[in-house]
Amino acid sequence: MIWRERRTLLIILGVLLLANLVFFLTYRIQYQSRLDDMDSRLAQVEGQLAQAHKSRLQAEQSLVAYRRVEKDVQAILEDRWSTQPRRLTLFISEVKRLARASNAIPTTLSFTRNESKAAGSKSEGVGAKEVGVAFNVDATYDQARRMINLFELSEQFVIIDQISLTDAGENRLSFSLRIKTLFREDPAPATNNRS
Amino acid sequence: MKPIHLNLAARPYRDYRPVYAVVVLLSLLTAFLMLNNVDTYYRYVRETKSTRAKIAQLEEQTRKEQELDTRARQRLKGLDLKRLDEQTKFINAKLNERAFSWSGLLDSLESLLADDVRLLSVSPTFDKTGRIDLSLDFRSKSGDGMITTINRMNADPHFEGAFPHNETQIDEGYAFTISVRYLPETGPSLRGKGLQ
Repeated sequence: MIWRERRTLLIILGVLLLANLVFFLTYRIQYQSRLDDMDSRLAQVEGQLAQAHKSRLQAEQSLVAYRRVEKDVQAILEDRWSTQPRRLTLFISEVKRLARASNAIPTTLSFTRNESKAAGSKSEGVGAKEVGVAFNVDATYDQARRMINLFELSEQFVIIDQISLTDAGENRLSFSLRIKTLFREDPAPATNNRS
Repeated sequence: MKPIHLNLAARPYRDYRPVYAVVVLLSLLTAFLMLNNVDTYYRYVRETKSTRAKIAQLEEQTRKEQELDTRARQRLKGLDLKRLDEQTKFINAKLNERAFSWSGLLDSLESLLADDVRLLSVSPTFDKTGRIDLSLDFRSKSGDGMITTINRMNADPHFEGAFPHNETQIDEGYAFTISVRYLPETGPSLRGKGLQ
């Protein structure tokens, strides 16, 4: 009877005690484990940051690498290979100059042209075409070696494709040389908006 | 005579002492726990303040890194990696052809050929991996010319896998063709292999 009369007070006190007990058990008793949890959370966040940083660096390095390679490719296409109208005559002049320098002047030059077959259709390809020059000269072996050496050292982008040597008697050779160079494809002409 | 018992109490007497004892005990216990808990809470907050600040700072940095990463990857998605890879491979192959030293090859062949063997033609083929295969036509005065040439190529570190294609007896002696892999010094190439 006396307990029932004071039950409100007792219930409030009981609830307060229980709440404090729960808090005590979770915070006080597990204090160290909560600190450890916090430390492990810190380590986890540091790991996430390191991973995000690494991923970002990888992506940015890929971008930088792409830009660098793209720049190198453009430098080759624009400066070294250039376009046919801009460099073809320079290339032919160089061939003739080097032939004169090696005292083995060809009487006939044959020219060939083919689009690059490296990458499928023209629109998807690398945008380059090959121009080849073949000639035959009567020369000594030393003259032939000198000519080869001059072509190797040329400032022009000259590739020696094939060499053939035939004995022409009296220490002379019939020396056939096939060389080639590459030109960048001309950009597609802009559409005429006025029409 | 019967004694008179006067009861002047307004309510019936009840002994509340046990109730008060329990109330006091519970109150003291609750107060003790509460003080302890408050102390614990503030100590926890104080001791973990720097850690929580650091966690918040790291989370902010992680969010920024993820944003930058997403932006960089979106830009990467917009790039034509396949085309650049094709261009790079093609240009590298051509640079290898350009860097190929014919003088070096002729020097190697000069030191290798026997006195009665003459070189007639050389045509190299280049593949994208930088491998150079040579097709060589020779003339020899004797029938041993081809065997001597193959043996000498096998002994020379610049050549590998010499293989004859044909040998024909002609008026001046013998004509034969050999294919061989040539291993010169490596030439320059563009960076960016394996862009994808």
